[in-house]
Amino acid sequence: MTAAVLPLPAVDDAPRAVPLYRLLGAELRWVLRRPRTLVMLGLFALVPVLISVGVALAEAGPGEGLIGAVAGNGLMLPVVAITLSLALLLPLAVAMAAADAIAGEAAHGTLRGLLLAPVGRLRLVGMKAFGVLVVATLAVLALAVMGVLSGLIVVGRAEGQLVTLSGTAVGPGDALGRISLVVLWTIGQLAAVGAVALAVSALTEHPSVVIASVLGGLIVFGVLSAIPALGWLEPYLLTTGWTAGVDVVRDPMPAAGLVESSLRALCYVTVGTGLTVYRMLRRDA
Amino acid sequence: MATARSNKIGRTAAAGMVVAGAVGLGLLAIPAGAGAQPALPPVDPEELVRSVLAADDQPLAGAVELENGLGLPALPGIPQAADGTSTARIWTDGDHRGRVQLPTESGERTLVSDGETFWAWNSEDRTVRRMPEGRHERDPANADPGAAAAAMLAALRPTSEITVEGTSQVAGRAAYDLVLAPASSERTLLREVRVAVDAEHRMPLRLTVLGSGSPDPAVEIGFTDLSFGPQDPELFRFTPPPGARIEDSQGHDEHPRDASATTVGDGWDTVFLTPAPGPGERPEAPPTSRSWAARSAGRGAAGG
Repeated sequence: MTAAVLPLPAVDDAPRAVPLYRLLGAELRWVLRRPRTLVMLGLFALVPVLISVGVALAEAGPGEGLIGAVAGNGLMLPVVAITLSLALLLPLAVAMAAADAIAGEAAHGTLRGLLLAPVGRLRLVGMKAFGVLVVATLAVLALAVMGVLSGLIVVGRAEGQLVTLSGTAVGPGDALGRISLVVLWTIGQLAAVGAVALAVSALTEHPSVVIASVLGGLIVFGVLSAIPALGWLEPYLLTTGWTAGVDVVRDPMPAAGLVESSLRALCYVTVGTGLTVYRMLRRDA
Repeated sequence: MATARSNKIGRTAAAGMVVAGAVGLGLLAIPAGAGAQPALPPVDPEELVRSVLAADDQPLAGAVELENGLGLPALPGIPQAADGTSTARIWTDGDHRGRVQLPTESGERTLVSDGETFWAWNSEDRTVRRMPEGRHERDPANADPGAAAAAMLAALRPTSEITVEGTSQVAGRAAYDLVLAPASSERTLLREVRVAVDAEHRMPLRLTVLGSGSPDPAVEIGFTDLSFGPQDPELFRFTPPPGARIEDSQGHDEHPRDASATTVGDGWDTVFLTPAPGPGERPEAPPTSRSWAARSAGRGAAGG
């Protein structure tokens, strides 16, 4: 028997850390290549268009509620579209992304590869959280951009100004600033939903459990806040502050509600991230 | 093993994050303004009442919260009358010009008085009602605890025991607690009325009406946020926005209830009766107001 000794290539034992941007880039491609993500973003872009067409067709002048405030007041549309979607549609999108991020990979058996790869568990969580945050940001931006466009084109522009709920008119620059603020605030609230959804995703292998628990949680929160005897619970519920988004179209803008709900969202983000990390440090595929 | 140890440290840190987030939520839930009782020089009740009535109006900006537990049904056009919490933001320049904003979840009412004209904006139907200034110093009854408390003090002095019971902190300001209790000869469902008076500017900051047999106030209206100082004059001007419908009103039909309003009883037994707008004016109006006036009297709400 002849034994040929092949010279082994020098292998560095310690796995070299992949630069973070490559991880994030890989996750971004992974998320954005999913047809369901793209379809979902397209549907979000349709929401303001549908509202604007509805408002333009009704043409009976201002009506009840927030939608009534859009008539002839196009720059109000993105704020209204985002506020309405925040109730259920946006959390659903975030829950879907979070469900795919960990539980979905576990269901497909691809999580094993990720856990074995020379990527630290913390970085893995960071990368998955980034993917969820990107979906949330794109969904809100789709609503905002299409809201501004369809608001100005379909609904009409109230002399280029935004008529606030308080009965004052602010210029287009100020209006866009307010819209950016509500976009940022909404992304913060969605980050809270996403962090909790990611924690659930880390605890289960079934993506549908994640979506069910997020939507179920929102419904339970809604029920709890409707019971007067449980009023003391309200400061703990994430959904309590969700009416504050409308505050950006009041003049002068009251900051208290926006700040308080953002701090509450930060607490939820901390809890959700902590749970996710705690679970992922031990998780087997 | 190193990985196992770092893993353990990581899990401890993660558990710490969960606890920190939960504690943060708890901190956010603590109501603001629950502070220690400030130390203030003692003051005579008569002196306090007089200084309140004599105090100059100060320029200020603030937020007022009304907690209503009267048990009245919702009145047409006055959602604040029903049980629950409503808020108002108010500004005044201390010289008869003011602005009140009553936000709701999907809209806002703005009342601006610019010294000559009173503007009332309603975002629900995007109308502006405009009426000449003068006799329409109204609705601050809802929004300005100052006027409400001052009116109450004047009415209750003959039949009430007035004492100063300690101090409290309202919207971050030190205040005296003026307590009005019914004289022992009075028959009433009210236990006491507490008015927190700002120690510096002698302005009522909070009005609490306590019924007998319940630790929770029947009504409480007070500042949750307050800052004294000159205000932006722009706040006291109102320009109807594009697309708004402007209605001119002389205001006479604004007060149909004043003409036929009657009071029954005196002192702490006083009941105020007024007819509500007819069903033709507001579709959701009750057919007659007698029922709710009587009911409110039964609940001890309309005393004083």
